[in-house]
Amino acid sequence: MSSRIRAAVALVAIMSGAASIGCTDLTVEPKSTVTGANVFNDPSAYRGFLAKLYAGLAVSGQQGAAGRPDIDGIDEGFSQYLRLYWEAQELPSDEAVIGWNDVGLPEMNTQTWAVTNTFVVAMYYRIFFQVGLANEFLRQTTDAMLDARGNVSSTLRAEIATYRAEARFLRALSYWHGIDLFGDIPLLTEDDPLGSTPPPQATRAEIYNFIVAELLDIADELPAPGANSYGRATGPAAQMLLAKLYLNAGIYTGTPNYSGALTAAQAVIAGPYTLDGNFQRMFKADNNTSPEIIFAIPQDGLKTQTWGGVTFLVHASCGGSMNNSLYGIDGCWWGLRLKPQAYQRYATGDNRTSFFYTTGQNVAIASISNFNDGIAAPKFQNRTSTGTPGSHPTHVDTDFPMFRLADAYLIYAEAHLRGGGGTAAQALTYVNALRQRAYGNTSGNITSGQLTLDFVLDERGRELLWEAHRRTDLVRYGRFTGGTYIWSWKGGTQVGVATDAKYNLYPLPANELIANPNLKQNPGY
Amino acid sequence: MRSSLYFVGALFAVSAFVPLQSQGQTGSIRGRVTDQASGQPLEGVTVSFGSRGTLTRQDGTYLLRDVSAGRDTLRFRLIGFATATRSVSVVAGQTATYDVALTAQALNLTAVVVTGYGEQRAGSITGAVSQVTAETFNTGRVVSPELLIQGKVAGVQVVDNNEPGGGLSLRIRGPTSVNASSDPLIVIDGVPVGTGSGGGLSAGRNPLNFLNPNDVESITVLRDAYAAAIYGANAANGVVLITTKAGGITKPQFEYSVSTSMSSITKRPDMLNAEQFRTAVQTYAPQNVSQLGTANTDWYDLIGRTAYGQDHNLSVSGASNTMNWRLSTGYLKQDGVIRGTTAERLSIGLNFQQLLFNDRLDVRAIQKGSRAVDQFTPGGVISNAAQMGPTQPTTDPTSPTGYYDWPGNKLTSPDNPLAILDLATDKGTTFRSVGSLQTAYRMPFLNALRGHVNLNYDVARADRQTFTPSALHSQKKTGQGGSDYRANQSQTNTSLETFMDYSGPVTYVPGTFDVTAGYSYAQSHAEYPWYLATGLSTDLLGGNGVASARTTQNVQDIQESRLVSFFGRVNYNYNDRFLLGASVRRDGSSRFGPTNAWGTFPAFSVGWRLSEEPFMRDLWSLSDLKVRASWARTGNQAFANYAYFANYVLGDAQTQAQFGNEYVATFRPSAYDPKIRWEETSSTDIGADFGFMNQRITGSIDWYTKKTEDLIFRVPVAAGTNLSNFLTTNIGSMRNNGLEFTLSAGVLRGPRNGLSWTADFTAASNTNELEAINPVFGANVQRQLILTGLVAGGVGTYIQVLQPGQPINSFYVYQHRRAADGRPVFAEGAGADTAMYVDQNGDHKINQDDRVPYKQPAPKLMLGHSSYFTYGNFDLSATLRAYYGNYVYNNVASNLGTYAEVGRDSPYNLHASVLETGFKTPQYLSDYYVEDASFVRMDNITLGYSLMFRGQPLRLFGTLQNAFTLTDYTGVDPTAGLNGLDNNIYPRSRTFTAGLSVRF
Repeated sequence: MSSRIRAAVALVAIMSGAASIGCTDLTVEPKSTVTGANVFNDPSAYRGFLAKLYAGLAVSGQQGAAGRPDIDGIDEGFSQYLRLYWEAQELPSDEAVIGWNDVGLPEMNTQTWAVTNTFVVAMYYRIFFQVGLANEFLRQTTDAMLDARGNVSSTLRAEIATYRAEARFLRALSYWHGIDLFGDIPLLTEDDPLGSTPPPQATRAEIYNFIVAELLDIADELPAPGANSYGRATGPAAQMLLAKLYLNAGIYTGTPNYSGALTAAQAVIAGPYTLDGNFQRMFKADNNTSPEIIFAIPQDGLKTQTWGGVTFLVHASCGGSMNNSLYGIDGCWWGLRLKPQAYQRYATGDNRTSFFYTTGQNVAIASISNFNDGIAAPKFQNRTSTGTPGSHPTHVDTDFPMFRLADAYLIYAEAHLRGGGGTAAQALTYVNALRQRAYGNTSGNITSGQLTLDFVLDERGRELLWEAHRRTDLVRYGRFTGGTYIWSWKGGTQVGVATDAKYNLYPLPANELIANPNLKQNPGY
Repeated sequence: MRSSLYFVGALFAVSAFVPLQSQGQTGSIRGRVTDQASGQPLEGVTVSFGSRGTLTRQDGTYLLRDVSAGRDTLRFRLIGFATATRSVSVVAGQTATYDVALTAQALNLTAVVVTGYGEQRAGSITGAVSQVTAETFNTGRVVSPELLIQGKVAGVQVVDNNEPGGGLSLRIRGPTSVNASSDPLIVIDGVPVGTGSGGGLSAGRNPLNFLNPNDVESITVLRDAYAAAIYGANAANGVVLITTKAGGITKPQFEYSVSTSMSSITKRPDMLNAEQFRTAVQTYAPQNVSQLGTANTDWYDLIGRTAYGQDHNLSVSGASNTMNWRLSTGYLKQDGVIRGTTAERLSIGLNFQQLLFNDRLDVRAIQKGSRAVDQFTPGGVISNAAQMGPTQPTTDPTSPTGYYDWPGNKLTSPDNPLAILDLATDKGTTFRSVGSLQTAYRMPFLNALRGHVNLNYDVARADRQTFTPSALHSQKKTGQGGSDYRANQSQTNTSLETFMDYSGPVTYVPGTFDVTAGYSYAQSHAEYPWYLATGLSTDLLGGNGVASARTTQNVQDIQESRLVSFFGRVNYNYNDRFLLGASVRRDGSSRFGPTNAWGTFPAFSVGWRLSEEPFMRDLWSLSDLKVRASWARTGNQAFANYAYFANYVLGDAQTQAQFGNEYVATFRPSAYDPKIRWEETSSTDIGADFGFMNQRITGSIDWYTKKTEDLIFRVPVAAGTNLSNFLTTNIGSMRNNGLEFTLSAGVLRGPRNGLSWTADFTAASNTNELEAINPVFGANVQRQLILTGLVAGGVGTYIQVLQPGQPINSFYVYQHRRAADGRPVFAEGAGADTAMYVDQNGDHKINQDDRVPYKQPAPKLMLGHSSYFTYGNFDLSATLRAYYGNYVYNNVASNLGTYAEVGRDSPYNLHASVLETGFKTPQYLSDYYVEDASFVRMDNITLGYSLMFRGQPLRLFGTLQNAFTLTDYTGVDPTAGLNGLDNNIYPRSRTFTAGLSVRF
């Protein structure tokens, strides 16, 4: 009896001894990746995190040119921020068509997109990817957090203050894209914790007011313009964004603010930027040296690779009988051409058309999928102004000029004409400065009588062609939808038809309405 | 910890009922029980006398101690045998000896079936368990052990990818998860391999290839959740238990088998020939006519081949009274029917078992190891063979590579597949060893109680190397400039399992108990470093050296996980009439945060063997009828590690941001769910096993329903609330319902050397439905959809959908209008879209909102039939398999079946479907390409002839695999992978194998 008990006790001891080996410890920390718990042990992580906020506009993920994507549900190359934004602004306008049949893309050319349109959905999520990242950066860099980590020097702390302003600029930029494209969307800030319940929908005006206040708050904290801050947001970039917001305030809030637009444009013009004597350089591989660019999304063939961005613009603009090597690239993607209205806006002598490629190309677009229909416009090129090819034949060195001085000139002119103050003479001077650059002489100059709102819209089309402003401009002029202005393929026919006013806004993604029951779909969808 | 003590305590509580040393007048009974027919000892026979009982041991002996003196009936009971009784008189202080021989009634009820952490008699199992043994395995050229049971088990779908030894998937009763794995747990001789599901690490082919199929003794599939539930966290997808061969005959026995095989392609994609291609170019792309050559090249013929293979297996085994052993080695080399594909395996296996200390200690050592050298057909060969123009020549003396390429290095022209085959390499080497040291100790104070300690390891190293020279057209046209990729992966899994089992009757309670309780600890460490260089400075080094390169990427990825489990199970058997079972397992996984690490998985079952009831006896020659029901909850943790951590992904050198003159590498926080937890599946199974004519006809029928909740699911989240638009979290539910039917009949049982025929039939239907994704949004539930199923054609084209109310991976397409002759309508110009497709939402245009779910890739009904004939020295077997209701998206047709493809920079060859459809623009989303892939296939016919050679058996055999397939599917193979996407898949081969096996 006692031997049996002894044996039993021994057994229990063996079993439980074996069972106790590690039985309480289930924590296995990642080894080859960093986590929120240790990432800021390296002070350079703050800079790296901020770099991601910028890179979110320039590339599609953490592996160049593709791999480890930022967002999901769409091909990674398609998902790149700039590419999506460009397509949302240009394809449904009178400026561009793309010939590819990728699901969802043809509808972008004709204002016939679905609620589930892949590109619209991805644009929405790209915007909130930026917003979410900026909010997380702001949460991680509060004074309290920096104090708690205890490894932040005073120098770094000062730098982080600048970084925080930049993060807020980038958040404002994406929120601007958000209200411009989608209207009423949620407003999330660093005060909304991660994984919070679905946020309520804010009005366009609420977000507009938020961004304006943010930009006014940070304008002085941003880095100063100059070579050292190229690629980063500067004070003038914030002013430029304010000018864009004020110019479209009537659309966003119902109350125009043209004087605000004019004042902000003046502030930009007063900055260190000058018109680039070489118009084409601004779209070439060395455009980082252009004195005109206020805010660029830098691309680099070796260090900043993506299948979207300017790599997309250079390749997709090439096709037909064009020789790809002339544009510094390894091949053509046979995609983008001009809608006839964009091509026909230019008069003879306007050198801004000098890069157009017409050989074998028809002005009229009988078939969108045929690259030979529509004039090719290889505005963006992967060769420098001196003809040297970029550092990589696939991924281009050409940066995207999101804001440049000419836009500020035209905002001044338009704001003045709309009653925002300033002088007519100054407006005419600015417009003619662009005309003289375009014509190489004064032959293209206009008179004050010719300077009308319609002229400004057309001049914006000519000067800022394919620079991702067109849809916003047409909406502001009330011509994007409806029948006031018909262009080829508007509404889905070659001659064009009037379209429903609902297309002034893109629909909120169908999946988003499910994930966030607080949201109300845009009218008409 | 507390729970383990609880289990152990419960075990001892049970053992308290076992015989205690009596104070009264007692004696003992001992003896040995054998099989009347064979004289072999019978283990596990219940021997009872009055209120005392015991089970016979492995050698058939039994000892009943401390039985009350007097006369009573001594009973011997074993399922499948006629119960024997003896009237016995016990004299106090003496030992009576009674040897008994039992008469078999239905041997297959007696068969020992391996179950998790133990084994059971087939007749008393209350779960849905199927065991396939070596005699009924598929034969011929079988590289992967899973294929041994393809078509043999109801409800089990084995999907291979047609390459020799290629990756394959198993589905038991349908998929249970969306983003976690739906593959079952594989357990080899008690060692769980892989990390929860699938088979572990390999260089690219099926990871279980390390196990030589010739070493496999039996494969048991635990189909229902009760049977599988003892594996708790890993059991939601079912469990496959593989038992390897052990030694069994006294004197050393050598066995050698050799076979050689020849394979050919059964079906090729239907592309235009040179003449048709020329006509198409002339008609639809006259600008490209000047590019056309005058050759008549059949590219697919040139990349294909008649493939040969050989397989050698040598084993030696032996046994004594206290030990048995088996040592085996095998060599296999099998070429694929597409050039460049080869599988080669050298394997060794060892099983050793020793009984020590008067047979109380049972030590078993198992080791299976292999080296697999795999050559892969380099990427792009098969697709370019379809795309390359048949009018073009294969070689071009002016080209640097000697191979013809379309003029110009335009991005879009197809590559010469022969150049890729010749110049690019893709190979892998996998070393793997799985081993186990298993000890079982029978307690001296209580024979029925055994303690087990098992130590297991699984070590693998898999190297993959891909070299693409810069001279290749594909490299020049994309500017990639050649690439050199290597991955040197390694994985080490170790586990400890300790458990106790008690098996036998207990005092004062009728019937027998089988109680198991234990603990297991498993950990995994894996490293996945890889290196990629592009823009090679030279091709001279091939894949062997490291040329300097324009860009290089070096990535290290370390993955570790841990799983700690406590488990317990009680099976109760009342005279083989009433059967009860209950089990519980508690698992802790490192994949979930501290608050969600632990999950509890209970299971219950009940069985009633009606055939034991007097009112059923001798009814319609019924020999067995058991109804059973079970319910269980199981888990799934087979998904990524570290999901609950706030992970920062570092950007590489190619995704930097420019800050002035400086480039800054990026840090990106990833979306994560700190509350991620188990995915749980609740299953109910109601079934019956039956047998007639002394089990000459047997069968079973099962109905089941499985509901998976808290799906580990990557879903869109409210924008801005996390750090990306998709988040892997627990959301939604999925259901699988099904019916399974198995019948096995000894149709003919001729006299010795006469004709005998055994026929097996299986049928299984399964209905899968994704019930919900986001439960908060009831009204709009039908609008929820997540696109999946990336296909070729356009960029980012997804052809399938995850949508509530539909089977997962339903095709998501436009409904194509059909002309009177049944052909899909093609239209151009304004209004073409509504002329071609049904405008589902009536907005007079066709866009993504007009897509509808349509059909699914999983079969609705799977049928299998195997027949085994013997006559004289001949044996003949055949396996027939049929699927009904499975659909495949013919991506080759959708991608290349449009005249737009000849209008490219350089024309592509077209799929012949264009001759029917006349599509001038691609119609990727048309339901026309979703084809019914139901089929009937003769998987296997084997003819063998056995003779005696020098007093030992020798067998000659020939096998034809994939003899024929009847299907309406127009692509190369209706079994086009699990998800039904046929984009230039590897073609299926027909293989003839001849060989012999001999013993000496």
